[in-house]
Amino acid sequence: MRRILSVWLPAWPIRRLLREGWPADRPLATVENHGGQRRIAAASRLAETQGVIRGQSLAQARAVCPALVVTDADPDADRAALTRMANWCERFSPLTAIDPPDGLWIDITGCAHLLGNETTLAKTIAKRLAPCRVAIAGTPLAAQAASRAATSQPIEVISPGSEQAALQALPVTLLRLDAHVVAGLRRVGLRTIGDLASQSRADLIARFGAETNLRLEQAVGKSPHLITWLREKQPLSERVAFAEPIGTADDLAGMLDLLSKTVCARMEAEGVGGRRFVATFYRVDDLTPAIEIAMAKPHHDASRLIKLLAAKLDTIDPGFGVEAIALNVLESAPLPPRQCNMNGTLQSEDLSTVIDELANRLTPDRLWRPIPQASHIPERASSIAPPLDAIPAWPHPPGERPLRLLRPPEPIEASAPIPDDPPILFRWRGAVHRVQAATGPERIGAEWWRRSDPDERFRDYYRVEDQAGARFWVFRIGLPGQDRAPEWFVHGLFG
Amino acid sequence: MFVEVQAATAFSFLRGASHATELIHTAKFLGLHAIGIADRNTLAGVVRAHIAAKAAHIQLIPAARLVFRDGTPDITCYPTNRAAWSRLSRLITLGKGRAIKGNCALDLTDLLEHSQDQAILIHAQDETALPALASHFRKRAWIAAKRRYRDDDNLNLKRTADLGLHHFLPILATNDVLYHAPERRRLHDVMTCIRLGTTLEKAGLALAANGERHLKSAEEMTRLFRDHPQAIAASHHLASLCKFNLDELSYEYPDEPVPPDATPDSHLTYLTWQGAARRFPQGIPPDIKSTIEKELGIIKGLFYAAYFLTVHDIVCFAQSAGILCQGRGSAANSVVCYCLGITAVDPTEINLLFERFVSMERREPPDIDVDFEHERREEVIQYIYTRYGRHRAGIAATVIHYRPKMAVREVGKVMGLSEDATAALSAESWNAGETLWNDGRLEEIGLDPKSHIVQRTVAMARELIGFPRHLSQHVGGFVLTRGRLDETVPIGPAAMEGRSFIEWDKDDIDALGIMKVDILALGMLTCIHRAFDFLAQRGVHFTTLADVPREDPLVYAMLTRADSLGVFQVESRAQMNMLPRLKPKEFYDLVIEVAIVRPGPIQGDMVHPYLRRRQGLEDVHYPSPSPEHGDANELKMVLGKTFGVPLFQEQAMRIAIEAARFTPQQANQLRRAMATFRNVGTIQTFFDQMVDGMVSRGYERDFAERCFRQIEGFGTYGFPESHAASFALIVYVSAWLKCHHPAVFAAALLNSQPMGFYAPAQIVGDARAHGVSVRSVDLNMSLWDSHLDEDATLRLGFRIIGGFRTDWASAIVHGRPYRDFRHLASAGLPHAALVALADADAMRSIGLDRRAALWQVRGLEREGKLPLFAGLPLAVRKAKLPVMPMPEQVTADYQSMSLSLKSHPLRFLRTRLIGEGAMTCAQANNISNGAAFFTVGVVLVRQRPGSANGVVFATIEDETGTANVVVWPSVVVTYRSAVLGSALLEVRGRIQRTAEGIVHLVAEHLENRTADLRNLDDDTITGPPARADELPRSRDFR
Repeated sequence: MRRILSVWLPAWPIRRLLREGWPADRPLATVENHGGQRRIAAASRLAETQGVIRGQSLAQARAVCPALVVTDADPDADRAALTRMANWCERFSPLTAIDPPDGLWIDITGCAHLLGNETTLAKTIAKRLAPCRVAIAGTPLAAQAASRAATSQPIEVISPGSEQAALQALPVTLLRLDAHVVAGLRRVGLRTIGDLASQSRADLIARFGAETNLRLEQAVGKSPHLITWLREKQPLSERVAFAEPIGTADDLAGMLDLLSKTVCARMEAEGVGGRRFVATFYRVDDLTPAIEIAMAKPHHDASRLIKLLAAKLDTIDPGFGVEAIALNVLESAPLPPRQCNMNGTLQSEDLSTVIDELANRLTPDRLWRPIPQASHIPERASSIAPPLDAIPAWPHPPGERPLRLLRPPEPIEASAPIPDDPPILFRWRGAVHRVQAATGPERIGAEWWRRSDPDERFRDYYRVEDQAGARFWVFRIGLPGQDRAPEWFVHGLFG
Repeated sequence: MFVEVQAATAFSFLRGASHATELIHTAKFLGLHAIGIADRNTLAGVVRAHIAAKAAHIQLIPAARLVFRDGTPDITCYPTNRAAWSRLSRLITLGKGRAIKGNCALDLTDLLEHSQDQAILIHAQDETALPALASHFRKRAWIAAKRRYRDDDNLNLKRTADLGLHHFLPILATNDVLYHAPERRRLHDVMTCIRLGTTLEKAGLALAANGERHLKSAEEMTRLFRDHPQAIAASHHLASLCKFNLDELSYEYPDEPVPPDATPDSHLTYLTWQGAARRFPQGIPPDIKSTIEKELGIIKGLFYAAYFLTVHDIVCFAQSAGILCQGRGSAANSVVCYCLGITAVDPTEINLLFERFVSMERREPPDIDVDFEHERREEVIQYIYTRYGRHRAGIAATVIHYRPKMAVREVGKVMGLSEDATAALSAESWNAGETLWNDGRLEEIGLDPKSHIVQRTVAMARELIGFPRHLSQHVGGFVLTRGRLDETVPIGPAAMEGRSFIEWDKDDIDALGIMKVDILALGMLTCIHRAFDFLAQRGVHFTTLADVPREDPLVYAMLTRADSLGVFQVESRAQMNMLPRLKPKEFYDLVIEVAIVRPGPIQGDMVHPYLRRRQGLEDVHYPSPSPEHGDANELKMVLGKTFGVPLFQEQAMRIAIEAARFTPQQANQLRRAMATFRNVGTIQTFFDQMVDGMVSRGYERDFAERCFRQIEGFGTYGFPESHAASFALIVYVSAWLKCHHPAVFAAALLNSQPMGFYAPAQIVGDARAHGVSVRSVDLNMSLWDSHLDEDATLRLGFRIIGGFRTDWASAIVHGRPYRDFRHLASAGLPHAALVALADADAMRSIGLDRRAALWQVRGLEREGKLPLFAGLPLAVRKAKLPVMPMPEQVTADYQSMSLSLKSHPLRFLRTRLIGEGAMTCAQANNISNGAAFFTVGVVLVRQRPGSANGVVFATIEDETGTANVVVWPSVVVTYRSAVLGSALLEVRGRIQRTAEGIVHLVAEHLENRTADLRNLDDDTITGPPARADELPRSRDFR
């Protein structure tokens, strides 16, 4: 005989947002897209007092409550938060599940006595998860319905077998039926579950569908209702303890070798790869130094792991001796098995090995790769990204670009025929360059929508070659004859 | 001398960032003597450019930039003569016809087929199509040479020149202009982002690198092309080749309506005298005779006879098909139109001013608008298409411009403003002029006016206002020509099936002297026709509006009581307030009534003086100039009939002419300037001219300014006296029907929905208040339309049930009579129809109330579909269901039919409300001026008229009637959410009662009581409550 506890967390999306730091003193609501219109999905108490209602269009809600703060509804985040809540509830029972969008189920069959009795268990849970409503019954649907009933009691315990009686007066909406079915039921006057139960089964099925009848039967226990309980994953870790403390580098390396092989074998069996590992050394004097390794991509290759661990082993001081070593996988990700070549060796490794070694020797953020960024302004035409991320294709630049740009561009003095012909000579870092050949101007306008550009004049770029054959990329800001004199700079070198 | 031959205007939608006028002025300023305007696959913008170019005395080269779908490079096509223009126009029509609205699908072969006498400029990137083009166009083709200010410009130019050399095509220098000045680059970037659906941050390389695509002077272009001077000379050569001018588009009326042995003038003369004899059976009065002769003379002198005949032809068709119609607008000033039966304004009753309609000086084509029954207007349109053919008849376009709300929304998105901020800005977009988004308003809505992004957004949005977004079909303006219409202007498909429209709008058509007839729809004409049909069943036969007995004192008495719900034009709250003050006694009073409750007279503050003088409270005097400037009575002619107060549009115009010495031309320009929303700064010059003109002749400044304000207020709502007179006739007829046959009138109104100011619930309520007995929809008794039984009870029709279909109604009527449910179920009606009937409680005649009916109908759903049981007799089980309480019944009625005959929702709350001390609406309307009131009612309609400075007017209703509530702006601010969000509103305040008995409830405290409506029916309504009534949204807040 089961006993199921249902927790109802009203306005769960709002609660999650408030926990994430959204302001509690302003009316808050979440918005969803419903057939092209933006509608209120959930609203805080404060918003409701000002006239915001669930299902209202956003425009209407703003009209009645101009100070409304809105954000997009995020059902995935809500579910994730609910799952975390359900996981936390495992202290009450090993079987917990989420009841989206705003509830939890806990199977407390046989658990109640650990906290006294069912009532005290319910009270404890209600207090810890407040504000919420809690109900216990013999079927999940009955508990769910009872917890959402609009009474003032925070707790309701339905004694075994009396589900039907308890549900008698509750409204039909609580049975989780489709909205149009509920509307149809109301319209013919069947408003409470008791009303529904008093009709004949055949009549109900004929008029309102088999599901309606099924829900009714599930609620009172005549039909089964299956729930998928959550299961938490077991952490990946291995530990080896020694009869006598060890302290030499070779011994430690040997033990790490053993541990790595075991852990990697487990990961391979489960089809996952590790991205972060920590090896903790338990010294006799209770100190626990540790080595942490991070990988660019998940893998379960023991030899690589050993190599990286060994590289850092000399940072560990074994003190008077190490009596145990533990190797934990802190972060893992799914990793399908790799293909073998015909002769049994694995296919060649890729860049990630080298990257891993470099990254772990230096710090990870000193390794980067340039990627293109869509902008006409040359110094903004590229940016940096982590080394192994996918790169978008480099677009064809509108003109030739030097490989390296000077940051910042260096001022030069130049003389050029007005208004916008290329310069004939210029002086840079003390040296004078006479221009033999030039192209341009290539006119690049300022990105006028940016706040940070103080100077909104355009730049005219020229590729110039001096008498020694060196090529420069110079530009001029502004035209002669304007309020400010034009300024010349060299921005880069070709070749 | 360089000429820019490729400039795109704003009619290259979201690609061109300048108006044609700006381009022309800049060209003039830069010293260019000609400019080529070519928009993308359209000729929509050329007329504006043409007018601006004429005013600026530079040559316009009208052209089109053709964009192809088969990989051919863009080609700008310049017609060198009229025939070439026809070909270009047909080419574009061909392309548009192949694609959906707004698009154009062209292939190179199409251009080659229409190539005679065209000159082309090829925007070539490579050799595609060059050989074919070169051989086809011989000496009239050039390749475009452009300086893009890119690194490889010189190289590119050389390559282009070489390409040209290779294919024997000379190069031509152009800047491929997209805007008139370099500053416009920003707006162009914004437009690009709007077009691509991205933001400025993300657009990246899709935006132009620089802002060089502006109009450049000849010196600048010569300098830029100093290595290729022949390219510059080529532009001059092209300009000299293209001497085609839009003035050459002469216009010819269709000649169908003229019989083979007559001329338009002779036929018109014949028809006019014939019609006059009919209109004046006792003989034509001599002054009418002379007016007819005068009008016919003017018409002959201006060659407009064919126009009148064309309109007459259409009206004849309508009359022969039994469609009620009536001309309106300035056309009602014409006695000839009256004789032809186009208009119905009797010249003996109203002083007609033919000059208002057509004048020798104005040289504008006449413009006749005709209203038809709205449900049958499509027949008239199809007649026109059939008679003239789709290639000679087309609907005019309207240009949909960016309005403040849309502009700031699009720009906000592009600038990356958060959605909240954009929404707040666009909600604040109903102010005009400089107050739009000024600093104060921005702070009020929570935006920082100093913030860079806000400033830029507002600036860009302001620039975007007034730019065209796209073309759309005009409401009913038809253009008819003798030759092919698409040889004058391209025709393209509309979004609506089977409709097409030309690329030019009303202003363009007027500027070129093309004729237009407005075929409009008027709901009240449909209603009147239906009423006539009902009356015919009762032996009372009317065929036209003129058959209704005139000047019936009972009708005027009814209107004076403001008992005008349903009556044309005078049923709004504002009109109901005016009727008891105006106290109409004769037809001309109705003409005044129609014209007076309009922004024009209200804004000009003419309403109160008029009423006071009418009531004898003030002396009638005419403003006059000082003696040395003019005759003291110079305005008496103009203002005599309205007690010295200008109320009609042409009175205000005449004042401008007589008192401020405007020429008729200028007065007309003034009228037009007011009629467009884009007041482009010329308003101030007109203001100065009028006020200073009048003051300098001795008028009082205050009067002069008020006259100007009134003209401003007329705007697009200007009512000429003749127009008011046309409408007044319809007002009278509908009032007569309401007065003498309320049941017929109510039924006709219900069957002509949607129309009018009120919803069916109010129409039914008003009918019952007048003693009409109304019966609910019934399975065995109703038809699709509401109709009258022999004993004059009104039986509601199936159409009143939400979602009901005409074919269901026919099926139901066909299978009658139904004895019981079993019989009904086996009649083979669709299940959805049965559900709708059950929901509407329409099965009482077979003994089933709503619940029982729903129960039975739901049971049918399964049983009908099981093939095994198909042959067995239907089992009908009785259900044991609780009785539906009355509040639920009423709510269910409203949900299904938007009205209830059983009761009003407030009746159920009455006991509780009495307990709270609230009074009914009827009681509130009866207490004395200044007394306190407290009442609760369902909100029927809220209005915030632009001329009333933020005041909100609301009408609330309970089971005893309606009451009008006034909420002053300060109160609106305090109780904003109650005012905006209530379906049920509680109001407390003080009564304001005028001498004529008009009562307003002035609100001091408001509360939203919608929750009480919900509690009537527990939680049947799960979402936000459906209002008790739904009213035409357009009357509420925008």
